Amino acid sequence: MRSHRTCVHVLLAIVLCLAWPAQSTAQKPPTIAAAANLNFVLKEVANAFAAARGTRVDLVFGASGTLTRQIRDGAPFELFLSADEDFPNQLNAAGLTRDAGAVYAIGRLVVFAPKGSPLTVDERLEGLARLVKAGGVSRFAIANPAVAPYGEAAEAVLRKRGVWDAIRPRLVLGDTIAQAAQFATTGNAVGGLIAYSLVVAPDFGDRGTYAVIPDADYPPLRQRMVLLKRASPTATQFYQYVLSDAARAMFRKYGYAVPQ
Amino acid sequence: MGEHGLAVSLRQDGPIPLDVEFSCDPGHVLAIFGPSGSGKTTILRAISGLARPAQARVQAGAETWTDTDAGVFRPPHQRAVGFVFQEYALFPHLTALGNILTALGHRPGPERRTRAEELLDAVHLGKQGSKRPHELSGGERQRVALARALAREPAVLLLDEPFAAVDRAVRRRLQSEIDSLRRTLHVPLILVTHDFDDVARLATHVLMLEHGRSVGYGSLSTLTSRPDQSWLHEAVGPGSVFEAAVSRIDVDRGLVTLAFDGGTLIAPARQLTAATTVRVRVPARDVILATSAPTGLSLHNVLPGIVSAIHGDTTRDAVIVQMTVGRILLLAEVTRDAIRKLDIKVGDHLHALIKSVSIELLVPDANSFDDTGQRTT
Amino acid sequence: MDWSALRVSLWLGTGTILVLLPLGIWFGRVLAYRHFRGKLLVEALVTIPLILPPTVLGFYLLVTFGARSPLGRAFQAVIGHPLPFSFEGLLFASAIANIPFVVQPIQRGFEAISPDVRDAAACCGLSPWQRFLRIELPLAWPSVLTAAILTFAHTLGEFGVVLMVGGNLPGETRTLSIAIYDRMQAFDDRSAGIMAATLLVVATITLMVTTILSRQVNSRRG
Repeated sequence: MRSHRTCVHVLLAIVLCLAWPAQSTAQKPPTIAAAANLNFVLKEVANAFAAARGTRVDLVFGASGTLTRQIRDGAPFELFLSADEDFPNQLNAAGLTRDAGAVYAIGRLVVFAPKGSPLTVDERLEGLARLVKAGGVSRFAIANPAVAPYGEAAEAVLRKRGVWDAIRPRLVLGDTIAQAAQFATTGNAVGGLIAYSLVVAPDFGDRGTYAVIPDADYPPLRQRMVLLKRASPTATQFYQYVLSDAARAMFRKYGYAVPQ
Repeated sequence: MGEHGLAVSLRQDGPIPLDVEFSCDPGHVLAIFGPSGSGKTTILRAISGLARPAQARVQAGAETWTDTDAGVFRPPHQRAVGFVFQEYALFPHLTALGNILTALGHRPGPERRTRAEELLDAVHLGKQGSKRPHELSGGERQRVALARALAREPAVLLLDEPFAAVDRAVRRRLQSEIDSLRRTLHVPLILVTHDFDDVARLATHVLMLEHGRSVGYGSLSTLTSRPDQSWLHEAVGPGSVFEAAVSRIDVDRGLVTLAFDGGTLIAPARQLTAATTVRVRVPARDVILATSAPTGLSLHNVLPGIVSAIHGDTTRDAVIVQMTVGRILLLAEVTRDAIRKLDIKVGDHLHALIKSVSIELLVPDANSFDDTGQRTT
Repeated sequence: MDWSALRVSLWLGTGTILVLLPLGIWFGRVLAYRHFRGKLLVEALVTIPLILPPTVLGFYLLVTFGARSPLGRAFQAVIGHPLPFSFEGLLFASAIANIPFVVQPIQRGFEAISPDVRDAAACCGLSPWQRFLRIELPLAWPSVLTAAILTFAHTLGEFGVVLMVGGNLPGETRTLSIAIYDRMQAFDDRSAGIMAATLLVVATITLMVTTILSRQVNSRRG
């Protein structure tokens, strides 16, 4: 019994030394919700912001649709960077945002094949069409069109190239575009349609080959951001920083187009 | 019923049907005797308050513990009852001393430990106090259970089949301890058993149960000397039990003289000390009837008496004759033919012949043995 | 290694235990010793979270307590934020999900105490409360400890509910299991690997401790 007591006491002591993880006061950095395709670029922007202004922000990545729903259910995000315009507009229409926000970047899709995959990548997806016809596609990854704008765009591309019906049963849907990228790179699929910003990220490394899909092949991924009604001054500053020249340069580096 | 005695009346239809009424005075041992399922344990549970029959009255001395008519019920923890359970029910996480201490809550704090140690010594477990129940033998556990029951300073002591789980040698010792207990403790002691040997050795009174109803109730010697107690005779064979005192020990001849209220008996000497009281059982089948005192027989015991009752036991195809010898009653089992031949009737003067070796001495092991088997006296 | 995620996970585990143990002891004891009509139904209800998909639990929590629901709005008015997307919401969800892990072992623990022992305690003069504190609880204690450890380990591994109801807020609802998911999506396999290994070690230790405990219980009974 004595050893039990000691174990319990030690554990309690460890835990109690750590602060209660509840929502506390204004000292906490604002939480920014961002579409998964921004996983790398936004972290760079946030670090630069912290270096320049001396204030931090917390980033939470997810599928735009999922984040939108969470915001509607009361999630305490202060700024939302979506992968499209529809979702922020929905929030605006629901009266949850300060205003209609701004388009901060235009995303791009790439077709990606990991090393060792039988898929040959090209911008017109001819390699994919051939592989599908030959029955050589085990799995092909895209983001879930229901919740991720990049998934919607991927569907548009596949339809345009006449591959959608044949490849549909072979699709594996990622919860977010980042998860789709996971599927595409880990050899579980022959490849996928994923975000340009992810494959050019340094952390992504050299995992395979890719080809950029022409902008004309899918509705533009105009990515809009909105400040929520509860946004703090820091969040507002970050909003403005995203639109600044310094940030825009980083977006371009990651393959985004930026509006003028 | 005496001032500190126990009076019980219980009635219920189920789950076990019950309909009994009895009492027990301080210093007396009431054995509740009967087959399994007859309701014996239920009675003990009702006395202690663990069971609540539909209609019940339990009176312990001046305190009314249960009275369904008056709506009175005292919960078990408020009754001064000492209960030794069949499997002892010791608290497995406490030491022997700890078990006893649990029952001493009614004593002021500083006294408790001393008293617990005293009780442990009294049951000869003085050195085992720090052992856990699973480290003790069956007999030792029983004694801890006993000590724990006594710690409560009970107004009534309840023992549920106390010897069921121990071997013969241990049983004898425990019986002897309980026998000395009842003399010193002076509270009513209720003992539940299905073994008549316990009854014969310890009980002063018996309540026989069959399907929850009493089929015999009274003092041991009275009950055993009634010729018509077929339930008893089926269990153990007819034979009266009574008390006698050792008046003389003849070491050379290996005989002992027992004096009872009405005469003397000669029996082979056991390890007896003079002036002790022993219980004597005379099996009816070892009693021969004679119309006159015979001579030239090896017999030591020839007792004159008067026939007080005759009972034909058809199940055994025998006849039980009850004889009044002085103040005690003897039973003799004879054939029907013998009755006819001797023309035995109530009121006849006959002699009862008893072989001395047939006399059972129910000696509660006058010598004590400690746990190593060494004699201590 | 995401230390704040570890902290959140530890707090979630501990908090769930602190909330559920008193409830579990009381309720487990009632189920062990009382017999009433509908007891079977109650026991089944207690088991439901075991087979309930976490997403179902998450769904109902969002629907009932989300900002769009009347309860959620009431919460927000009083506390300042709705129940989901907060640590308290996670704790609430975790408590519900862990009910069977707490109640069932404790119920078994109390059931294992021989009725004779409890009766003997009453005959020793112990009031019902004293019986509980001095006899029943010490004897059932190993099962209480088992319940606590099982709950803790199970909570550490919770994912589905946390994902749906938590919002992945760093330092508040980003648990270790979510953090692993997070790191993987960021192609940070190294961090994900370290955290996964940590959880694996914790699970193993948990199993070992519960095994040792149950052996102790058996030896003590003798």
